[in-house]
Amino acid sequence: MIVIGIIVGCIIGALIGINAPIIPYTYSTFLAIAVVAALDSVFGGITSVLKKNFDLTIFISGFFCNSILSIALTYLGQKLNIDIYLAALVVFVGRMFTNLTIIRRYYIEKWTEKLQVNNKNKEEKAK
Amino acid sequence: MKNKYKISIIIGCMCLLLSLGISIQIKTINNIGTSTTSTNEIENKLRDEILKTKEKYDNLYSDLEQVENQLEEERNNAASNNSDLEELEKNITEGNKILGLAEVTGQGIIVTLNDNQLLTSNNYILDPNSALVHDMDVIKVINELKNAGAEAISINDQRIIATTAIECDGNVIKVNGIKVGAPFEIKAIGLPEYLINVKRYGGYLMYLEQRGITVNVSKSDQITIPKYTGVIKFEYAESK
Repeated sequence: MIVIGIIVGCIIGALIGINAPIIPYTYSTFLAIAVVAALDSVFGGITSVLKKNFDLTIFISGFFCNSILSIALTYLGQKLNIDIYLAALVVFVGRMFTNLTIIRRYYIEKWTEKLQVNNKNKEEKAK
Repeated sequence: MKNKYKISIIIGCMCLLLSLGISIQIKTINNIGTSTTSTNEIENKLRDEILKTKEKYDNLYSDLEQVENQLEEERNNAASNNSDLEELEKNITEGNKILGLAEVTGQGIIVTLNDNQLLTSNNYILDPNSALVHDMDVIKVINELKNAGAEAISINDQRIIATTAIECDGNVIKVNGIKVGAPFEIKAIGLPEYLINVKRYGGYLMYLEQRGITVNVSKSDQITIPKYTGVIKFEYAESK
């Protein structure tokens, strides 16, 4: 179900994006960091769904807060001539990896459990 | 179950935003022509300016083309019923053809010059300068083509007209003030049997080949040479 949602969303977004106008180059850095924030939010959302503690308000507010804060940091970095956006990138990508680990663990554990149950059933049948 | 629908719709929306952002970003970066992202503000502003100016130029140019087509149409309409005007109209078309203000087609040859591609493998022998196609080389080739009776010449689609200057500009050359780089494709319309003699023994192309420059000459029955896109200014010359 969630997979279908993700795929449909991605396709529609890409279709709109292809027809959308280009943005000024000055703002493309901001868009890039917002994209990374969105990616982080999606991973976080999937993880929380798997953990069964998904909360809509937290998810959406997290997405917007992350994006706005990272954009603000990038802007501040441009004014101070220091690449603060790198810090935001490190945090987001780090979290993405952590979330990916949780997702991976969840599915591998599920899979091995299924395998064990199958094996047990087979043994019982053999007896 | 209802909750699950809600979740997948929300995550789908997020993915929509995500891929929208990614595709816009890719388009913007592609448009700028480089893949290096920079947060340097001044640099970004300059890039922005270039992008805007390019867009503006393209728009204005298409407008100009439209207006020119309209003018052509109007002239045709006006001349269609009047024999005097028809004569004048013919004169204008003829003049434009000679001045380089009209696209022309015809038979001719195409000369392609490219830098010495083997430079990296044996550059200890060569003077690097001799491996590149310079402005002087192009000028000499064009001079030979003109001598052979070429009626219209273009370098990488830049029409050569009476006021064209070919100059060195770092690692590229400037034709009509517009930068063109190797490989140079020189198109010339004229009698191909005459023009092909540009590759005669002892000619300048032979000398270029000795320097290791890739020279390619081919005849063609159908060459299209675009018109000159700039403005020809005559402020000081007056005819009596």
